[in-house]
Amino acid sequence: MSYKIPMGPYHPALEEPYKLDMICEGETVKDAKLHIGFNFRGIEHLAETRNYIQVIALMERVCGICSNIHTLTLCQAMEELTGLTPPPRAQYIRVVMAELERLHSHVLWAGIASKLMGFKTMFMTCFSLREKVMDVLQAISGNRVNYSMNRIGGVNRDIEDPLALVGMVEQLEREMVRTIIPIFTTSTTARARCAGIGVLTHDKAISCGVVGPVARASGVAQDLRRAAPYAAYAEMDFEIPVEQAGDVRARLFVRALEIMQSCRILHQALTKMPGGEINTGEGKFAFKTATATSRVEAPRGEVMYSVSWKENSRNPSRVHVRTPTFVNMPAVRWMVQGARLADTPLIQASVDPCYSCTDR
Amino acid sequence: MNILESVLAATSDTAPGQPAASESSPETRLEPRTEPRTEPRTQPWTRQGAVYWFDCAGLTVREVAQAMNSLRARFITITAYQLPGTEGTRLEYHWDLAGRLLGFPFQLAANSIESIYDLCEAADWIEREVHEGFAVDFTGREYEPLLLREGDTPGVNLREEVKK
Repeated sequence: MSYKIPMGPYHPALEEPYKLDMICEGETVKDAKLHIGFNFRGIEHLAETRNYIQVIALMERVCGICSNIHTLTLCQAMEELTGLTPPPRAQYIRVVMAELERLHSHVLWAGIASKLMGFKTMFMTCFSLREKVMDVLQAISGNRVNYSMNRIGGVNRDIEDPLALVGMVEQLEREMVRTIIPIFTTSTTARARCAGIGVLTHDKAISCGVVGPVARASGVAQDLRRAAPYAAYAEMDFEIPVEQAGDVRARLFVRALEIMQSCRILHQALTKMPGGEINTGEGKFAFKTATATSRVEAPRGEVMYSVSWKENSRNPSRVHVRTPTFVNMPAVRWMVQGARLADTPLIQASVDPCYSCTDR
Repeated sequence: MNILESVLAATSDTAPGQPAASESSPETRLEPRTEPRTEPRTQPWTRQGAVYWFDCAGLTVREVAQAMNSLRARFITITAYQLPGTEGTRLEYHWDLAGRLLGFPFQLAANSIESIYDLCEAADWIEREVHEGFAVDFTGREYEPLLLREGDTPGVNLREEVKK
């Protein structure tokens, strides 16, 4: 006999409000249905009422974790509409911010995953490391959540002494190599709780169109930083970690390895940062009547913005945001089928869902 | 040139009409054209920024989805635009083929288009969202509310509601 277990929309195992209705037989989940929309704020419609300065501040608030990525994607689209090209130094600063944000997001996720595994000591370690990443972000931008770094034609703030940050990044890397990476890749607790659960097969990953670490953990080697480079990524040397198992442990591995690759990119971006201007200045620019599309590899996967503008208008006529969780989360239905009920909080968390992004 | 040939030609580094060498799976690769081309060569796509836009005249969205499936392209999203006056709605479908962004625009006069959900399950949520936000009817499927809550009416143009 099957019965329904509702989880959410407000539940201790969920970081944000959404609802997962699970159809169970005994302790085994047979099927699941997701309900979202509890964070719907109508941001896309609001964007049409904001001018080209205000809309950047608005879109920064789509997500509290990858706020920088949203403004970067939006600004890239607006730069296409205005014909502005950010100077090389701005492109490097964008890479630094994007990779610090990826570190911050992955370490935050690692902490939450640790908590759900029942590994609370690790949770504390992850969050103390995350503080250090946020300290670096604050040292650069003056802010810890909404950094206000991106603008049309470049960035708002310079990294005056990039080499001074190299030491901070190296220290972060050392601590991650000493703590997070070995524990997540070798500890018995992590293996027991994560191996073989929440499997998303390669074929299902492709048919669901999943992106980011979720796709790469199922053997889909896609990463826009390599496939369609933006900012200064074409000049960076890095690898794309890919795992084949498709389970929670594979997602853990991919993110752990991505932390190392982010440190590698940060080191290159900070040491090779060219001199010069950080934006195109206060000169006049004009929007042309067109639609521009921009994509960026956020910590959770591909973010895509479609921005439409009409000439002589101060406001966009349409801003559409496709976030990674919007395509990753439907795959949870396939991940939880056949899983034990007790594993479902960890399985859904392994996607690193963000409902502020998804609902907008 | 059919849609498969167009996409392969647009996204390969070779000239239009020649087979793409790199991205396509073996079963979808096309044989090189051997007979001399007599018709004037026109490109059924335009490149704008990072997007390869395809002319969808005479095509249904399901034909496009089937072609994309055979190329193993990844579905990204549908972007809806409400056109002025009574012009209806324009939907832009996006797929990714080996890092290249493909765009297929469809203009809907009657706010109705076939669903591709059965061909492409990644389209499920975005079809539901566009249905809720723009009152577009994706035929051949059933809906459950996505962003709306119980008591709200799906299939109502949310943009118009917000303006009120």
